[in-house]
Amino acid sequence: MSRLDRTRTSAHQLRPFFSSQNLLNRSDGSAQFDFGGSSVLCSVVGPAEVKLRDEKLDKATIEVVARPLVGLPGVKDKALEQNIRESLEPLILSGLHPRTMLQIVIQTMKDDGCILSTAFNAVILALLDAGIPLKSILGSVTCMIDAQSSEILLDPTTEELSRARSTHVFVFDNKSSVQSEQGKMNVDTDDQEAGTSSLAAVLFSDSTGMFTEQEYFECAHFCFKASQAVHGFIRTAVQKKLEKEYQQTQA
Amino acid sequence: MASTTDSLAASPAFTFSASTFQKLHPTEYFRKFISQGVRPDGRLLDSFRPTTVHYGVITTANGSAMVRIGGTTVVCGIKAEVAEPKLDSPDQGYLVPNVDLSPICSSAFRPGSPSEQAQVVSEAIHRVLKESKVLDLKDLCIEEAKAVWALWIDVVCVSYDGNIYDAALISVMAALLNVRIRKPTYDEGIVKVPGGEAINDENSFKLNLTRIPLSTSFVLFDTDLTLLADPNFAEESITQGQISVTIDEHGRLCRISKVGAASTSQSLLKQCIERAKIRSHELRSIMNQQ
Repeated sequence: MSRLDRTRTSAHQLRPFFSSQNLLNRSDGSAQFDFGGSSVLCSVVGPAEVKLRDEKLDKATIEVVARPLVGLPGVKDKALEQNIRESLEPLILSGLHPRTMLQIVIQTMKDDGCILSTAFNAVILALLDAGIPLKSILGSVTCMIDAQSSEILLDPTTEELSRARSTHVFVFDNKSSVQSEQGKMNVDTDDQEAGTSSLAAVLFSDSTGMFTEQEYFECAHFCFKASQAVHGFIRTAVQKKLEKEYQQTQA
Repeated sequence: MASTTDSLAASPAFTFSASTFQKLHPTEYFRKFISQGVRPDGRLLDSFRPTTVHYGVITTANGSAMVRIGGTTVVCGIKAEVAEPKLDSPDQGYLVPNVDLSPICSSAFRPGSPSEQAQVVSEAIHRVLKESKVLDLKDLCIEEAKAVWALWIDVVCVSYDGNIYDAALISVMAALLNVRIRKPTYDEGIVKVPGGEAINDENSFKLNLTRIPLSTSFVLFDTDLTLLADPNFAEESITQGQISVTIDEHGRLCRISKVGAASTSQSLLKQCIERAKIRSHELRSIMNQQ
């Protein structure tokens, strides 16, 4: 079954990833992440000075600022800021930098659907680029359920999203994938738990529309599989960047 | 010197009352309760606060409702206004939900532009209304490409004690059920809405809601992710993660959101969905009692 965007052949195919780190000179870390025609640029500044009002005695204050593609930031951008900040707070080892601020700025560069997922992936690459200590790395994928065919389409474009019955954004960290692999190993010994043990733990989930419980967990399953590709991509991106930096210091 | 150390050793160095302990170490205070399977306000971990719904509390609005969940009180008023349709949807009316969390309801909110939380709740309600197609927006059309009804849905929080999303969504749905709009007449570019006589079935219409989504929220406490249903303000401020499940009258899901805290297993999400199904049944019977 071909997709509306014509470049993909399967419902579970993602658009090509692209990433680039260390793009901005004046920030401590920056990265761009693309899912096909969607692109988000993210910068990280920190640990930096914090406003007295926001100061926390035992950890760093994390501030997320989202800028839309056009116009002034609105309610949607505020929701995006909150989603990203609250998902990152347990991930960042903010106790290492008490009484400081970590500012994350997200700028949408191109919008062709799945901006939240693209932003999550851009943020984690920027945090890695800035050398902020993290507990784990996350990867995000969006999927939708088609209103007519009830088929699950991964990484939909804006055009596809206009025909959606529901949209689902999932974020998985690389710890949950380890847990699920351990779960799979247990499956060999105990078949009865096969249904539940291979389910990965969810770091962030946001679904709206009309859907059933079964569809929701199916979406979670497909997004988890796809997020493994994102994790792999992030790993390679960081590896390549470090190799390049090492060569530069040698020269 | 020796005598003072003796007396210190005899009695504990510090003794505080329970309320002092609560102020100094809110999380530890809470943990002590949770380990016994109860919450400081006397509820069990999975029990909800008493909930009431009152319809038609604002007579000047087209539809209104007041909802109380424990110490949280919200009032929702809906005003229908004749407006020009948007260019890309000439035969559809529109809904504009707005949640107001002013300093009147809690000292946690500052005066000035709407807080982040208020904006996030407004956006969540807007998405549920729009994406789960709660009502057919074509019903709000008066004359295609000329005039439609715009529904201004304003939720004002009067008293804030946590779980604002659940309370706001119940009040919005109750107010939508309560809406009555006078039948307009369209004649050569002029929309007339007759006034004067009392509203009755003949000169007005009700909204035809396709589904009534209601939400159930939980917070995740501590590193072992203990699930607490219907959090109050104190519980919200010491926990990091929140799970909300929005469900309609047929048990179909309209929204699931899990934000913050560490990764949670999918069996925990299943547990939340099961609990939300029972709670939404209870809420529906509360809404029907009135």
